[in-house]
Amino acid sequence: MAGALARIIHGSKNQLGFVGPLVTVNNGSVRFQQTKTSFGPLADSDRIFTNLYGRHDWRLRGALQRGDWYKTKDIILKGTDWIVNELKTSGLRGRGGAGFPTGMKWSFMNKPSDGRPKYLVVNADEGEPGTCKDREIMRHDPHKLVEGCLIAGAAMGAQAAYIYIRGEFYNEASNLQVAIAEAYQAGLIGKNACGSGYNFDVFVHRGAGAYICGEETALIESIEGKQGKPRLKPPFPADVGLFGCPTTVNNVETIAVSPTICRRGGSWFASFGRPRNSGTKLFNISGHVNTPCTVEEEMSIPLKELIERHAGGVCGGWDNLLAIIPGGSSTPLIPKDVCETAIMDFDGLVAVQTSLGTAAIIVMDKSTDIVKAIARLIMFYKHESCGQCTPCREGVSWMNKIIYRFVEGNASPKEIDMLWEISKQIEGHTICALGDGAAWPVQGLIRHFRPELERRMAAYAAAHGPSLAERLY
Amino acid sequence: MSNSIVKLLALDKLSNLFNMIKQNGGIRGSLYKLYRQEELKDGVLVGEDELGNKYYENPRYFYGRNRWVEYNDKAYLDYDGSQVTAEWYGWLHYKTDLPPHKDPSRPKYKWMAEFTENMSGTTGQYVPYSTTREKIEPWVPKQKSSA
Amino acid sequence: MLRQPLTRALALSPSRVAPLAARKFAAQADKVEVFIDDKPVYVPPGTTVLQAAAEIGVEIPRFCYHERLAVAGNCRMCLVEVEKSPKPVAACAMPVMKGMRVKTNSDLTRKAREGVMEFLLVNHPLDCPICDQGGECDLQDQSMAFGSDKSRFTDIHFSGKRAVEDKDVGPLIKTIMTRCIHCTRCIRFASEVAGVDDFGTTGRGTDMQVGTYVEKMFLSELSGNIIDLCPVGALTSKPYSFAARPWETRRIDSVDVLDPLGSNIVVATRTNEVLRILPRTNEEINEEWLSDKSRFACDGLKRQRLVTPMIADSRGNLTPVEWEEAIVAAATALRDCPPDKLLVVGGDLADAESLVALKDLANRLGSEAVCTEHYFPLDGAGTDLRSSYLLNTKIANVEDADFVLLIGTNVRFEAPLLNARIRKAFIHKETDVALIGPKVDLTYEYTHVGDSASIVKDLATGTSSHEVLKRLENSKRPVVILGADQLKTSEGPALLAYTQELALSLQDKLENKEWKVLNVLQRTASQVAAMDLGYKPGVGEMLQKGPKVVFMLGADAGVITRENLPKDCVVIYQGHHGDAGASIADIVLAGAAYTEKNGTYVNAEGRAQQTLPAVTPPGKAREDWKIIRALSEVVGARLPYDNLEEVRARLAEVCPSMVSYGDVQNNNYFAQARALAQSLQKPVSGTLDVQLKQLEDFFMTDSISRASPTMAKCVQAVIKQKQSPY
Repeated sequence: MAGALARIIHGSKNQLGFVGPLVTVNNGSVRFQQTKTSFGPLADSDRIFTNLYGRHDWRLRGALQRGDWYKTKDIILKGTDWIVNELKTSGLRGRGGAGFPTGMKWSFMNKPSDGRPKYLVVNADEGEPGTCKDREIMRHDPHKLVEGCLIAGAAMGAQAAYIYIRGEFYNEASNLQVAIAEAYQAGLIGKNACGSGYNFDVFVHRGAGAYICGEETALIESIEGKQGKPRLKPPFPADVGLFGCPTTVNNVETIAVSPTICRRGGSWFASFGRPRNSGTKLFNISGHVNTPCTVEEEMSIPLKELIERHAGGVCGGWDNLLAIIPGGSSTPLIPKDVCETAIMDFDGLVAVQTSLGTAAIIVMDKSTDIVKAIARLIMFYKHESCGQCTPCREGVSWMNKIIYRFVEGNASPKEIDMLWEISKQIEGHTICALGDGAAWPVQGLIRHFRPELERRMAAYAAAHGPSLAERLY
Repeated sequence: MSNSIVKLLALDKLSNLFNMIKQNGGIRGSLYKLYRQEELKDGVLVGEDELGNKYYENPRYFYGRNRWVEYNDKAYLDYDGSQVTAEWYGWLHYKTDLPPHKDPSRPKYKWMAEFTENMSGTTGQYVPYSTTREKIEPWVPKQKSSA
Repeated sequence: MLRQPLTRALALSPSRVAPLAARKFAAQADKVEVFIDDKPVYVPPGTTVLQAAAEIGVEIPRFCYHERLAVAGNCRMCLVEVEKSPKPVAACAMPVMKGMRVKTNSDLTRKAREGVMEFLLVNHPLDCPICDQGGECDLQDQSMAFGSDKSRFTDIHFSGKRAVEDKDVGPLIKTIMTRCIHCTRCIRFASEVAGVDDFGTTGRGTDMQVGTYVEKMFLSELSGNIIDLCPVGALTSKPYSFAARPWETRRIDSVDVLDPLGSNIVVATRTNEVLRILPRTNEEINEEWLSDKSRFACDGLKRQRLVTPMIADSRGNLTPVEWEEAIVAAATALRDCPPDKLLVVGGDLADAESLVALKDLANRLGSEAVCTEHYFPLDGAGTDLRSSYLLNTKIANVEDADFVLLIGTNVRFEAPLLNARIRKAFIHKETDVALIGPKVDLTYEYTHVGDSASIVKDLATGTSSHEVLKRLENSKRPVVILGADQLKTSEGPALLAYTQELALSLQDKLENKEWKVLNVLQRTASQVAAMDLGYKPGVGEMLQKGPKVVFMLGADAGVITRENLPKDCVVIYQGHHGDAGASIADIVLAGAAYTEKNGTYVNAEGRAQQTLPAVTPPGKAREDWKIIRALSEVVGARLPYDNLEEVRARLAEVCPSMVSYGDVQNNNYFAQARALAQSLQKPVSGTLDVQLKQLEDFFMTDSISRASPTMAKCVQAVIKQKQSPY
């Protein structure tokens, strides 16, 4: 969920601009010139997560065999600027959904210190329906994350990393805790981490199962022991974060890929995918496909190819496809005709009025009751709204009421426009992005399946007479 | 002829005046009546009600002024329209020409209430008891039990 | 918990917590130019958009924002368009940026407001006709101004609106939680100002509820303020419920007399009846808060009243008489009394006019025994120098203190709003507090130095080894507050002398020569005025002489009882409530309470303020100074004033500051008082104790609050709550 919530379509850049003048406008700063024109499939030698399926030992020994913790000390000793520079070169964008350039995010932390400690917080509260990438990392490759914490921490001069892990991830938390213990025992983290002279602690904090705690400021509140309710921004966490200190919140995947980037070089990472969408990415393919899976692929791979190659195609063939939610439950769905040409990267999906999100692809074939599917998502958001700010608290539950009537058709066709307007009244008016995430699925539904909604209403009216909702018009 | 002369000399008015004065008890009585009711009239006493008010009629006067009441002397200046009893009210206001004592259709039953005048504006007026609580609860000093 | 670096940083402190400081120190130079609706406005950095807009009179609608509470930003009503920002921003939380262009009336802004308003009304019951907030409801007003003119809430036909169970939070606050719009003002007030973390939210999303987690009473002496804070009718006043509509009431500005601070109040009346009391903003005293006693004890003005003069009959029972008879009886008693056997006692709630009239009368009769009920040491400077018995720091300046030492006072219940100031300083300015006296809950952390009076001596003489001494000496703006109750004992003079010594030696070392350290916190509203007028504090000495006539002007503190008076002593009681005083009286003269007269009161800082008559005195009761004036005529010692102006002229003659209403004079002559007190520094050994320790002690302290049923209910409820396991 992480990112889905943190996603601020255009807002983040501008708002961050208020924080410090150090943000350069050419944030992409495309240092690597991409020459490829077709993307994917990814060669096995280029995979970062080599134990994604848990076929090998996940513990320290196995991790060392796979190349983790290799020359970590050297990377740390190269210094903050080098690491941040390498990340900037790689063009890595936050893997939680918002896609904020990671190198730049880390560089915010390198303001002159005012005596407060700095913290790295890793967002492992992966709650977005459809998303299951971070858990694979944490249970099968936890050392990638722990090492990533150390490198990220070194890059921003943080004193400690807090990994906020979703409460339901019991086994993942266990594995991660074991990995951290191993790393401590091996002297990889803790006092004089990896012999670099840098002290760094890693803590695991288990959440209690609230989706909203994946929003970065709610997550910080939750670690502090308060109700997980998002804070107002500004001030941003980079200014006033965990325990009032400068904090950076990053997704698990973002942190976990950073050691490999540092080892293999930013330009290696940037050689995948289109400019500004570079790198490899974990895609989760679920729903009506023959072999649902989590797979690491190159960015900018066409959606259709991704599904056909890795997920064994849509159940009943591509023509049986109804719609796809391409980036986790909070992104608008796209119908089949759009799916044909959609390219799985940030810009490619924005071009089709949806979003990459966490790259959790939910495939729905023609057997799906699409309205009910979206209604169920809204119910989820209604249940997970923290209730702090008005548009989300009142608006989402209202949308939920309306859309469940749409499922039956017990509504007025005029209410479709009303629902659209309500979703627009929520979007962008809330403290965090949960309101946006709840509004977009509805907008996607109305955008692409309006005739279906109208058909249901007509059918209902034919069977039961005009809906009570007509009364108000 | 004599009639016209009488009229010409307004002697009939004069005799009326004498009649009035005579009927109202001489000069003194007439002045008293004038003082009390600002009017001097002569007429036929039609009847008297239970309160002692006297009802007169004189068709010589203009309709509307030809029936009147002279209140009981006891009322002195404190007379009031509501002192006209219910029986006489009808006759006085031309609802009927039959004075109550000549009207056979007015039986008097035991259960009929005594007539009372309207006491509004006086200390005897009806005041409904208050159903609201006092706004201020005064302090009630403790009584000394020893005494 | 609030005192964390985070909260402080989040608090946007320069602008929010200290408008005073901003006013004082902000230089014109470092101001930021922003444009509100294209109008330029210069504000200090850190100001929020909402405050900047207010500067030029542009009102941005809001529900959750309150200038005295932390910013929550959750109602989203204050969304405004800012140029170059794709989304509307919450004006209450967004600090201004240089050159920011805010549009408070653009289409985007209006649409955002309308949307938020629609959402708020979706689950708000339309029960305005039976809602006590009707007419003074922010939601009503703002939905008229900024909402849509029609509803499209079709779901009213299907699932209806949310309903929430009401909570029981005590006898003062009525909750109708269905009306709640979750602005969290009450929660923030409780945790920030009241210092009682009882309120919070439970549940998520639409199921979110504001309440105490386990149903319990809101145990605070400032609880009533959440009624004012609530922008809707979710929290309303229980005693005032269904009493009146705001437009039916007449509102009279007045001053509270139930604690020594003289909080500014508005008395709402209808048909000659005080219906409720609301706070009136006065930044120097009460900001916009009011303590529960001041707010809710007003129903005590309707009970136990003296509505007619009374005289004891042959059996000693008080029987109502006409004024003439009572005045003659009183005058006879006064005339027959030898001057040295006359004792005059001014009570807790007496106004300065009647105090001066009574003193003049007594003096004309040859008596100098004019006292107040509460003692204050007369040794040394005594009451000759105002600085020795006032809050010299002044209430508002306590906020700026960096160290507060409380000696023998439970400020929380003796002066709740002063305590709120200290708490404000504690939270926002990291002021530290130390207490000498019994351990009490002050709603903030403090260093408990002990409860022995000798600690004060050690601190004053510099022999204490306690860290508090060092911190006092190191602080730049220390404040020492001494509770006046401690001065009643035989060690009082010494304690006062040491406190003066301590405070003034600290004051001498300060860089800021304007800063005053020494404070004495009086307990009652009349005490300062009485001492200003030359009343002698304490009646003990006079009582021993065996007075023949005692004239008590509202003296209900129970200092004078029948037992400590001679058998044949005539007691004349003048006052408004049948309480301790009236019950021992032989002659009762019915006076007026503070809502019924135009009276001058001097608060603990020495600030003169006046009450205005909101209702007429009940029955035959009359304004107090007029009764004394009438009495003087009959006694044969006619007082030379016939109207209020002349009485006030007399007041000005005695004490000029007493008629400059609203002002407070700076006190000087500290050094002289200190010098006079030097000889009194004797060893002290007693322990300091305070009268009001627990919340249940707070509610009934004077004749008005003792007569109040609401206050009685509060005491019951608090005791019951304390027995509950939660």
